[in-house]
Amino acid sequence: MSVGTSTLPSNAPDSVEHSPTVASLQIAPSPHLSDRSLSTQRMMIEVIIALLPVMAVAVYVFQWYAVTSIGLCILVCLGAEAGLNRLAGKSQTVGDWSAVLTGLILGLSLPWNAPWYVAVVGSLAAIGLGKAVFGGLGCNIFNPAMVGRAFVMLSFARELGAAAYVVVESQLTVVTEATPLSLAKQFAADLAAGRVTAGDARLQIESAERFWALLVGQVNGSLGETSAIAILLGGIYLLARRVISWEIPLGVVLVSLVCVELSHLTGQTLLSPMNHLISGSLLFGAVFIATDPVTSPVTRWGRFVYGLGIGFFVVVIRVFSSYPEGLMFAVLLMNATVPLLNRWTIPNPLGGPVPKKG
Amino acid sequence: MAAASPTALERFLNGIIPENPVYRQLLGMCPVLAVTGAMKPALTMAAATAFVLICANLLISLIRGLLKPHLRILVFTMTIATFVTIADRFLAAYLYDMSKELGPYVPLIIANCLIISRCEICSSKQSVGVAFADGVGMSLGFALALASIATVREILGSGTWFGLTVLPSFWPTWGIMVLPPGAFLVLGLLLGLVEWIGHRRATST
Amino acid sequence: MMDPETQKNRNYLQQAWLVLLLGFLYGGALAGVHTSLAPRIAENRLQETLNVIPDLVPGAVIQQTEMLSIAGPGGQMERIYRTADAAGQHNGWVLVAAGQGFADRIEILVGLDPQFTTITGVYVLDQKETPGLGDDIRDAEFLDQFRGKSADIPLSVVKMSPSLPGEVQALTGATVSTWAVCDIVNQAIDQWRDPILDQQVSSASGTSSADEIP
Repeated sequence: MSVGTSTLPSNAPDSVEHSPTVASLQIAPSPHLSDRSLSTQRMMIEVIIALLPVMAVAVYVFQWYAVTSIGLCILVCLGAEAGLNRLAGKSQTVGDWSAVLTGLILGLSLPWNAPWYVAVVGSLAAIGLGKAVFGGLGCNIFNPAMVGRAFVMLSFARELGAAAYVVVESQLTVVTEATPLSLAKQFAADLAAGRVTAGDARLQIESAERFWALLVGQVNGSLGETSAIAILLGGIYLLARRVISWEIPLGVVLVSLVCVELSHLTGQTLLSPMNHLISGSLLFGAVFIATDPVTSPVTRWGRFVYGLGIGFFVVVIRVFSSYPEGLMFAVLLMNATVPLLNRWTIPNPLGGPVPKKG
Repeated sequence: MAAASPTALERFLNGIIPENPVYRQLLGMCPVLAVTGAMKPALTMAAATAFVLICANLLISLIRGLLKPHLRILVFTMTIATFVTIADRFLAAYLYDMSKELGPYVPLIIANCLIISRCEICSSKQSVGVAFADGVGMSLGFALALASIATVREILGSGTWFGLTVLPSFWPTWGIMVLPPGAFLVLGLLLGLVEWIGHRRATST
Repeated sequence: MMDPETQKNRNYLQQAWLVLLLGFLYGGALAGVHTSLAPRIAENRLQETLNVIPDLVPGAVIQQTEMLSIAGPGGQMERIYRTADAAGQHNGWVLVAAGQGFADRIEILVGLDPQFTTITGVYVLDQKETPGLGDDIRDAEFLDQFRGKSADIPLSVVKMSPSLPGEVQALTGATVSTWAVCDIVNQAIDQWRDPILDQQVSSASGTSSADEIP
């Protein structure tokens, strides 16, 4: 059965008695089978376990920057969740680990050298504007971590822009070079201006060493997005544990490969499809962000189309806009279409389709 | 009519908080979102709207006995459009920089539902004094709403208020507040706050 | 008895006289406002450009500056300013140029010396770039980079410490806006150098030849 669990906050006045770990409402297409092990808490913890390799790479590559940034995001997210629940007079939902996961994903999606206030403001926006104003977990339309990231991205464009990643004098060697996607954009600009030849540019960004570096994560970028292998490990774990469904990541990957191939052939982008896939946050987003059960469709076809949409917008933003990466906006855009996708893809109930009237 | 028409004082007070054009009636959202990035343009817009609203209210109230029911909207629109054009030309002549900054939003006062709704609800039915009080009250309410949103956006987004620096230089300004998304976020949050305060007052008494 | 046609017309008038009367009154009022304010508004527009001309061409005096209309490849250019110093000596040009920025159209003024060899100043008239990033193109610190650059070498953008002539340092996080300004300047010089210099030559020879004709 496909998984589509979400917890609706209970408005029970005696909040002390209410256990936040039991899912009070599950949304999924038929057949409806009850499984108490699919609690919100369990799913969140599974995702956190799947993120362990990614976190390990982040700490290995970016050292203390990763620890402080992610830690701060998680702490502020937990604090905001607890404080806003109290303010709204709701039962406490800190124990369901969802705020921890939001903080973790937000932290992993921020640049390695994001100043502390970016983490704080982003976490407050993620929990406050992304979740609490809609009524808490399960009621939010947009992915909270991406709402928080969009908020700080638009607020502190200087601190989070492509140029901010690069620090020339640093003990971390990876950060002296631009992020892979900025580098590709730079070469494309240089090529257009006739400063390099196409062969040179390709050689620079498509070499075997670069490919290997992208796989293991020895490149500049946001904390969680650098290593393709670590992300794939997490993804396989989540698929095996049936926490996420395969339709969304497959949709994202398939359509982005096709779109990049098209734009690669027409000369719109220098990078090959494979390189696009493992550069930037595409893979991280496909596995950990787009699969958020609350903000993705509940039907199988809906999920696939949702994944296709994300992949398509990522490539459009990467290739045609001045932003090097477009995952955040792509996810937020497709989040808005989820109610429609759900409505358009209602599956046949068990026992055959409902006969049409008239 | 069953209920007595509100008096001038009631009209005046209603406009400021109980029937606030922005927070209660949700009218005139276009300037509320578009020009509240800073205090100066917000208050210039509020003043231009006040001029048009008060003048239109006075004139419609004066000729209310002559209005034909099926032609009244036409008369309202003509009157409003005339005063808007006058306001727009005066801004361009005497506050050129501000008029450039406000751009199309001054001519767009014509489309502000607040003004035509006041013509319809109040000035086409009541005396000149009441219509004047209504115009002033509604204008104050509108100015208050614009100023509240602009205060949040300018302080958080630029660290200034009326162009004067109010936040220390180490404070990182939130660029999103000056951008269009900031307008929607602040409007939504302040609407929620006003609603919440109103709700608490209603339940506590 | 009244015939039906007259009856109908009278009916129309009865209904619409107020609208017609107001139409006339409002029209009159607007005409009055327009005639009294239009010169002032036009003056404001002109003044905005004129006020920065002394900044763009060193030594230029507003009173000596004339506005020319010159035909070029892109059509007639209405606003080319031929600047002169206090003594009336021609000392430079100011062009109004525009192009696509990161967010919207950017309109700038470019100051040049009389022979189109050196850029003497750049000023941003109108822009809607990202607040806090791209809108720094209005800053004096950024625009001062253009002063004294050769007009023969197309400007290009570098991220750090410009070393070659024609290089402009990009604003942090706003490379696109920086390129936009440079492209607009390059294009304006490219497009108007020949038409303006040709016109100068032809008008100069024109006057001399007119003298020779008996």
